[in-house]
Amino acid sequence: MPVTASELVKDIDGLVTLPDVYFRINRLIEDPQSSTADIAKAVSQDPSFTVRLLQVANSSLYRFPSAVTTVSKAVSIIGTAQIRSLALAMSVAKSFAGLPNILVSMENFWRHSLFCALIARRLAREARRCDPDSLFTAGLLHDMGELVIFNRQPEQAEAALLMVLDSQDEVQIHQAERQVMGLDHAEVGGELARQWNLPSLLQECIAYHHSLAGAKQHPREVALVHLANVFALMAELDSLDPAEVSPIDPLAWELTGLGEDCAEMVVREAQAEIVEVEQLFT
Amino acid sequence: MANPQDMDPTEPPPVLPGFEHVRRSWNVTYAAYAARILPGEYYVTKSEEAVSTTLGSCISACIRDRNSGIGGMNHFMLPASLKDEPEAWTATGLNTATRYGNYAMEHLINAILRNGGQRQNLEVKIFGGGRILANMTDVGQRNINFVHEYLKTEGLPVIAEDVGDVFPRMVIYFPVSGMAKVKRLRSLHNNMIANQEKAYVDQLVQKPVAGEIELF
Repeated sequence: MPVTASELVKDIDGLVTLPDVYFRINRLIEDPQSSTADIAKAVSQDPSFTVRLLQVANSSLYRFPSAVTTVSKAVSIIGTAQIRSLALAMSVAKSFAGLPNILVSMENFWRHSLFCALIARRLAREARRCDPDSLFTAGLLHDMGELVIFNRQPEQAEAALLMVLDSQDEVQIHQAERQVMGLDHAEVGGELARQWNLPSLLQECIAYHHSLAGAKQHPREVALVHLANVFALMAELDSLDPAEVSPIDPLAWELTGLGEDCAEMVVREAQAEIVEVEQLFT
Repeated sequence: MANPQDMDPTEPPPVLPGFEHVRRSWNVTYAAYAARILPGEYYVTKSEEAVSTTLGSCISACIRDRNSGIGGMNHFMLPASLKDEPEAWTATGLNTATRYGNYAMEHLINAILRNGGQRQNLEVKIFGGGRILANMTDVGQRNINFVHEYLKTEGLPVIAEDVGDVFPRMVIYFPVSGMAKVKRLRSLHNNMIANQEKAYVDQLVQKPVAGEIELF
């Protein structure tokens, strides 16, 4: 009997968990009565998270003119809403260490995810009216469904990867997954995001980054992640030639108001930033 | 030769004897049939079709007769030399590793000559020899050095190459026109390609190399 996305996600329950600090921050942000100080206090209770948050606050991602040495300063620079996105982003790589697989190296997987995160964040600024930090997290998590599939259905995942190579790279991985197993990594990732109660923006960006038409609530952000995913491949392969990477859905240009000429700038920036960011998030 | 746009995409062109087992499929991007070879295989054709393969640290020589367009591609790797043999980088060195390389090159060249190609018209393009696993010793570079040395010794001109670096490559080669296209593949595929190559090399060293090959 073919497996469903929701069954796969239930299967990994316990193998991958979000850390307490994320839930605490999330609860505080949802509570209209909580203050910045409350959030800073919650962050401080997790020392390793605190260290990493300060590193991020002092990194080129924020370019603050002087050193950020306290949690409350980091929280006020980054903003409380964005802190939640960052907490999630910073936790996920660590939590997925509980889902090993032999098909793809975690290093390569997170490198692609980080390229996508950096580029989605940059494109959010270009497109305007989109929150860059949410897009960073969306870009980082967009392929997490892959990790679930590789771990839970390794033979079928391998068959899908072989199908891509056999087709001389004309079939894309999500198409091959659907042919082999009746689901794809976007659907599975979206289901995981739903079970984790992640904000609907993240759920949609993950679930629909290969099928833009399905995004009903946040089509603009989903389109940004779709573009960022393709530009991330350009950054990885060091090529600006659209023929070298997967095709871009023309709807993405309409939804974002961006043009094809933005590719070069965002790809070069991401290539420059990746080394520093790789150390912060993995 | 038939115009590719006029070809019926449901019928692949005639296949040369000995290559019937190689899988061919319609490639939409190039509007042509492409035969896909795996590590250890080779394919030769006289028809309007392509040969393609995916290379990690393996090497591929694409060879054709520039006048008649008869040509093909191989895909191979030198296994690690046995411990008690000297490491020989020249094609004339007779250690176990280079024997496999000679075997792969001679089979391809012989098949081209057997089907009407002429040695003095041959031209070569080489691809692959990448380094796709982080902790890999540079077996790719060994393969590149071997094939450079072999072709120099045999006096066959290398008119193009795309070798080394850290990416897997998908190569598609049209012997009739001599056109070769290389596409870098994303790192998602690295482990799979490395595993396929390892499986090929492991079974290589278990089989003894066949006896002396006669060149026409």
